[in-house]
Amino acid sequence: MISLQDKAWSPYAAGVVIGLLQIPTFLLMDTALGASSSFVTVAAYIAVLVDPAAAQIKYFASHMTGAKNWWQVAVVGGIAAGAYLSMRLSGAHRPAVSPVWARATGMSSLAARAPVAFLGGFIMLFGARIAGGCTSGHGISGMAQLSVGSTLAVAAMFAGGIATALLFRRVSA
Amino acid sequence: MSILSGILIGLATGLVFGFALEKSRVFEPGAIVGQMQLRNFLMLKIFLTAVITGLLVLAVLNGVFGVKLALKPLLFKADLIGGLILGVGIAISGACPGTSLAQVGAGYRDALFTIAGGIAGAMVYGYNDAAILAFFAEKGDKIGFDKLLGLPFWLVAVALAAVLAVLLVVLERLTAWRDEVGPAYDGLQPVAAADASVPAAGALPAGR
Repeated sequence: MISLQDKAWSPYAAGVVIGLLQIPTFLLMDTALGASSSFVTVAAYIAVLVDPAAAQIKYFASHMTGAKNWWQVAVVGGIAAGAYLSMRLSGAHRPAVSPVWARATGMSSLAARAPVAFLGGFIMLFGARIAGGCTSGHGISGMAQLSVGSTLAVAAMFAGGIATALLFRRVSA
Repeated sequence: MSILSGILIGLATGLVFGFALEKSRVFEPGAIVGQMQLRNFLMLKIFLTAVITGLLVLAVLNGVFGVKLALKPLLFKADLIGGLILGVGIAISGACPGTSLAQVGAGYRDALFTIAGGIAGAMVYGYNDAAILAFFAEKGDKIGFDKLLGLPFWLVAVALAAVLAVLLVVLERLTAWRDEVGPAYDGLQPVAAADASVPAAGALPAGR
């Protein structure tokens, strides 16, 4: 049986739970699950602190107000809280850096990983904003709506990820 | 809808989302990098299960109750090029925009830098949005495979869900999810076992 204290659930149980979240999202928010545009909302407010003229940029302005934008910021905040809660219940606390990085890139310290993670995050969101969505918005939600554009974006995402991971050291299965 | 209700609904949704991501171990950099190295298929299993569930949910919501879908427009160049760049970033950070938050919740500290980088990337995109849109110069329709086929959404959704379910059964037969999760629940195999086939692995430290 599935317990809240398990360290791992079957991917099929977890996937069903995630998929079912489309019900409240479509019925209450009139939209689909997504994550990456919340980064724009946060970025816009930070930009305006330093550069008030940023509020005049249409792209920032369209992400700064309205229930949908704040809903998505709350979703990603909730993701961190939900993962923390699950980790506390199971006791599967993670180290500062995943051991995969030592094996795949030879980097095992946080100091070595930090700039690479920053660069990876930068590229990830820059790409997601060009495509207009990420693994959640284009992936889980777009494909569930049979969107042609989302399917193309997901195929490109895996192609880019696989091509990049080929440059890493092979981690044996 | 008031901003406060939006935030409360978002928090509740995110809590469940983050809980499921942590339990599934799909947020593990070991699983995400492993998927991109085609040696660990946890990410694809969870992803496709969420898509199948979404397809069935939306087949009912749209097909029975007439709930409107929220498709993104097909922008050929932006989807292709943006998707490729997104994938490069996922491999380098070992995270997706959503799972980076789950990584922080579970204790990975480098994910804080992934998120900071993501905010910076979103900011630089925002300043250059008009120029990038002008560069791609495309207009797109919100087009689905159901429209291309001229069939009702629910029918194509149920059919695709069935095909993907068969794919998952095959995938699970090829490699069991418990093995992919690994003994430390990080999507990795112990070094000793993993390198048993590699000659001269004796010098490697144990218990990494």
